[in-house]
Order: sequence, then structure tokens, then C-alpha cells
Amino acid sequence: MNKQIHAHGDIVKQIQEQLGRDIDADIIESVSQHMQECPDCKIYIDSVRETVQLYKVIESDQSMPKDVRERLFKTLELKKV
Amino acid sequence: MSLSVSENQLIAASIKGDRQALSNLVEIHSPKIYNLALRIMRNAEDAEDVLQETFVIMINKLKSFSGNSSLYTWLYRIATNVALGNLREKKRGSEVSLNDGEFETLKGSEIEWPEHLKDEILNDEFHECLKKALKELPENYRTVFVLRDLEGLSTKEAAEVLKISQANLKVRLMRARLYLRDQLAFNFNCVER
Repeated sequence: MNKQIHAHGDIVKQIQEQLGRDIDADIIESVSQHMQECPDCKIYIDSVRETVQLYKVIESDQSMPKDVRERLFKTLELKKV
Repeated sequence: MSLSVSENQLIAASIKGDRQALSNLVEIHSPKIYNLALRIMRNAEDAEDVLQETFVIMINKLKSFSGNSSLYTWLYRIATNVALGNLREKKRGSEVSLNDGEFETLKGSEIEWPEHLKDEILNDEFHECLKKALKELPENYRTVFVLRDLEGLSTKEAAEVLKISQANLKVRLMRARLYLRDQLAFNFNCVER
């Protein structure tokens, strides 16, 4: 089953702009109050958050290949540690 | 001895010409810078160029490093600027355009969001769809998304690195997130285009 997602003017804009670790406390309060009354907005913000989370998973750190490391030290004329 | 003191000692020794100390600094910071470059450039070869250029600049300009920020933050700024410069030179044709008109459509659109989407995270085809969508984002949007959402910089930090206003950064971030979210939904045939 799929959920309908709607945009809801200023409150959604605030959510989109502010979602993240530097979110303002007043905004959190107004957003949570609104989301309790508006399930569509909750789905909306959840979908954006889920998108970001999925990208965090697939873009997690990967090891630097050995040959890349070797060429870096060679370019810099440094001895490897 | 704290890590920061130890790094300060390495920096001081490097400035005095200690090549071993310099090697240690490169060893410590190169993996993170490589990952940052990969996320922005979306290409291993281009990421390696950014990596090398960043550390060449570090070696040449280490004497001017003020110590007001951490060395990693300083390198971060250098790498981001090098990456953006390289991307602008290339001007890749595969990017989509997110102009104001399209943004209005994104902002007001209704889409259907599939439940259990995160269960697809082990699906290779799904991975490719996610990566393709990120690669298609124009670099000024992609870089904001990478710095803010993937690298975890605050709005203020990311705006400083990119030398744009915080308001501008927020708008770009909003557009990038909406585009990526809609692409995810699109790839699951949840929207009609």
C-alpha cells in the first residue's frame, strides 16, 4: 500500500529547510504540533528523512584503494608510513 | 597527550621540513578526503585528482595554516574548492537542471511514497538508481547535499565552506532533497510522468 504525500505551504518549507542537526527548538515545537494534526505532513517529512537515511547508507565511507594511496605518496614525493 | 596536540606537533614538525611528519599527516587525513572527493565527483579517477591536488596545496601552504580551525576542516575546504573547480571545468552534460519552475513543481507535487522502501537497500539495482540520481544533480545542489547530509556539516559550516549564504544553502538543500526523494519514488513507479 502506498501513502499520499502532499505539500503544505510554509510548514513544509520549514521542515525541508530545517531538517537536520542544527534544527531550531521553536521550529521543532511548531513542526511536531502540526504533524500531530496533519498525517500527510508526517508522511512528507518521513519520506524526505528516509531518502537522506538511504543515501547515508549507500554513501558510507569506503577504504581508499592501495594503488590510490601509493600514487598519492609518489606524487607528493613522500615515504609511506 | 590529546590527538589535537599530537597533530599540532606533526604540523609544526612538517613546517620545519620533517618529511616523516608530513607523511603522517597525509596518512591520517587522506582516507576522509578521498571519500569526500568521491561523493562530490562521483568518479574514482576524478576523486583521485582532487585528493592529490588537495595534498599538494596542503604541503605548499601549510605555513599559512592559522590553526583557527582543525587541519581537517582546512583540508576539507581546500578539497571542496578543488572539487568544485574541477567540476566546473568539466561541465558535465548529464546533469539535470533544477530551475525555479521545476522547483515549484517539485514543491507542490503529490507523490506516492512506497512503504518498506528501506528494505530495498540490499538490492543492487536500487543502489544504482540512488547513485544515478545523485550523480545527475547539478554540482551546486549535489555539493550542498553531500556536505550537509552525508558529511554532517551544519548549515553554517557548509555555507562557509561553499562561500554562500545560509539562506541560499537551505534552498539548495531543499531542492536537492526533494529531487532525490522524487527520483526514489519514480524508480518504484509510484509517480506518473
